[in-house]
Amino acid sequence: MNNTTPLSMDMIFDAKSEFVGIVRLAVSGVASRMSFSIEEIEDIKIAVSEACTNAIHHAYKTIENAKVTINILIYSDQLEIVVKDEGVGFDTSIIGTPKQQQQSESNMSLGLGLTFVESLMDKTEFNSTIGKGSVIRMIKKVPQIS
Amino acid sequence: MIGFSVEVEEKNNYPIVHIKGEIDVYTCPALQEKLNEIINRGELQVVLDLEDLQYIDSTGLGTIANTAQNIQDQNGEVHVICNKPQIKKIFEFSGLEEKNITLYDTKSELVKKLG
Repeated sequence: MNNTTPLSMDMIFDAKSEFVGIVRLAVSGVASRMSFSIEEIEDIKIAVSEACTNAIHHAYKTIENAKVTINILIYSDQLEIVVKDEGVGFDTSIIGTPKQQQQSESNMSLGLGLTFVESLMDKTEFNSTIGKGSVIRMIKKVPQIS
Repeated sequence: MIGFSVEVEEKNNYPIVHIKGEIDVYTCPALQEKLNEIINRGELQVVLDLEDLQYIDSTGLGTIANTAQNIQDQNGEVHVICNKPQIKKIFEFSGLEEKNITLYDTKSELVKKLG
């Protein structure tokens, strides 16, 4: 883990799907000011969108007045994004398993959302407590120029 | 949302759905509605033109997979024209091509197959 103090940016938004594109745009803006390639920026956009979609569609479901919090931490050698919700929580051990796919197919998300987060970022952590909420932490390393 | 639009071209033997902008959790209901209209009238060959698509994630892929699944029993197919590496990467990663969904780099490739 990088120990230097990062620059940070926080966003709190209503758990409404119309905000996902705005978050994606903001994160894309941050990433484009770092040394990421276009492909890496696209990966980051998808990962953060999937995490937000998970919070809005799966974590909160019908909970009213719910909020999603995003923390963006800009280090010299990596970008860290933390997506938090206070929704229903989920069993993190099922990510990427057929059971998760089965549960998600009814929501037409193919069960791939969190698998995308895991695959497209360099490091991810999923912490969730049933009934309390979830925290998805994801890191993309800035490519080193040799 | 960032110029999202979905328009259906009907001048061929099969409908071509031109999708522009971004398909995510916000825009996919509009796409699903349009695709449902098409398959509910009995179309079994559905073409999606993603040449002007800027972004798609798992909700968009789920919408397309849902349409493909609904016509699978009648040997229906979804044909996707897509030339953007990042969008192709997401399709390939999802494994959808193993189902009744075929990707084409260009419209002319598609015409060769469907006429």
